Amino acid sequence: MPLYVYSIAAKDHPLRLDGVSGVGAEPNALRTVTAGSLCAVVSDIAEEIRPKRRDLNTHQRVQELLMADGVILPLQFGYIATDDLAVRQALESNEESYLGALGRLEGCAEYHVRASQADEAPLLQQILQDVPEASDLNDRIRSGDRDPSLPLALGEIIAREVQVRQEALAAGLTEALVPFSREYLAHPPSGSDFLNLSLLVHDEHKEALRTAEANLAREIGSDIDLRFSGPLPPYSFVQ
Amino acid sequence: MTMVPQGGGPVARGQGGGTSSLYDVLELILDRGLVIDVFVRVSLVGIELIKIDARIVVASVDTYLRFAEACNRLDLEAGRKAPAQLPDVMGNMMEGGARGKTRGAIGGAVEAVTDSLTGKSSKSSEPEEEEEAPRRRRPAARRPVRREKE
Repeated sequence: MPLYVYSIAAKDHPLRLDGVSGVGAEPNALRTVTAGSLCAVVSDIAEEIRPKRRDLNTHQRVQELLMADGVILPLQFGYIATDDLAVRQALESNEESYLGALGRLEGCAEYHVRASQADEAPLLQQILQDVPEASDLNDRIRSGDRDPSLPLALGEIIAREVQVRQEALAAGLTEALVPFSREYLAHPPSGSDFLNLSLLVHDEHKEALRTAEANLAREIGSDIDLRFSGPLPPYSFVQ
Repeated sequence: MTMVPQGGGPVARGQGGGTSSLYDVLELILDRGLVIDVFVRVSLVGIELIKIDARIVVASVDTYLRFAEACNRLDLEAGRKAPAQLPDVMGNMMEGGARGKTRGAIGGAVEAVTDSLTGKSSKSSEPEEEEEAPRRRRPAARRPVRREKE
């Protein structure tokens, strides 16, 4: 019977799985498959698993439940093994690297930070103030000059300035938060975000990080939307 | 850069991390995490709908026109509010339990942000090392991934 695989943990993890059900429309209970000093948390699946909000949430909830009791390696969403034997073989053939990763992540969680521009107006005003070329173009347009090249020229300057300034702000935020982390990973932001930062933080620095985050959020003001998530399973740091 | 409305306040978090909006951690669940090659991955068809595409600040006529329009509409006579910066964070961070080793970082942050506000493109925000590109589509002119280990 195929299995959905959630996480890998050391055999001495408490693995309190009673009453927790897994992914799927008719979910089965979570159970473990053990090989050597490792075990995998799995649930049997009878149907095709689809990437639905329900199952994404289940995947995440199982990780959070397990990480509350000890270090785990969370799998990426959506991996299915054919049977218990396949899981045992995977655990055996990667035992050394999984144990190494578990050791490296001991006592740590991932914290994720995103930032987007909630209010553009102050930024645009500042750019017009700082870049005479931009304010000249803006003045010409506002005073009725209908030359169609003017908005394009203005927009090009503004777009470039916005990107430069947001990247500098992202770099500043990163520099402010990285000292609390053991490892960090900055990914290209998506959507309207200009910061996508993951930090691997040991529990002993958790409170300091939160204080710093709260201070940054307060200092940065309302035109930037700073979004902090965590503690999370260490998705970004398992490999 | 279209603004995508998002749930959750600026500091949305709970004791167990359970309050993070799924939107913000979706990328972590789908694109990161341990991969075991011998297992089969379920089809992610349909997930593209909730995956947010790469940031759009790339050069495009639409973006330019939108910015120009936004500038034309600004009330230039209104009380000017300075854009986001991190001027006073330093003192607060010092009280906040991050002593000593963050001093330089905060200084750097303030410097980077200050530079950005004065329109200088700060050299210090450029990466000193190139590493592997992320697996996702990369928008143009983004900073490469940096990773530090202890």
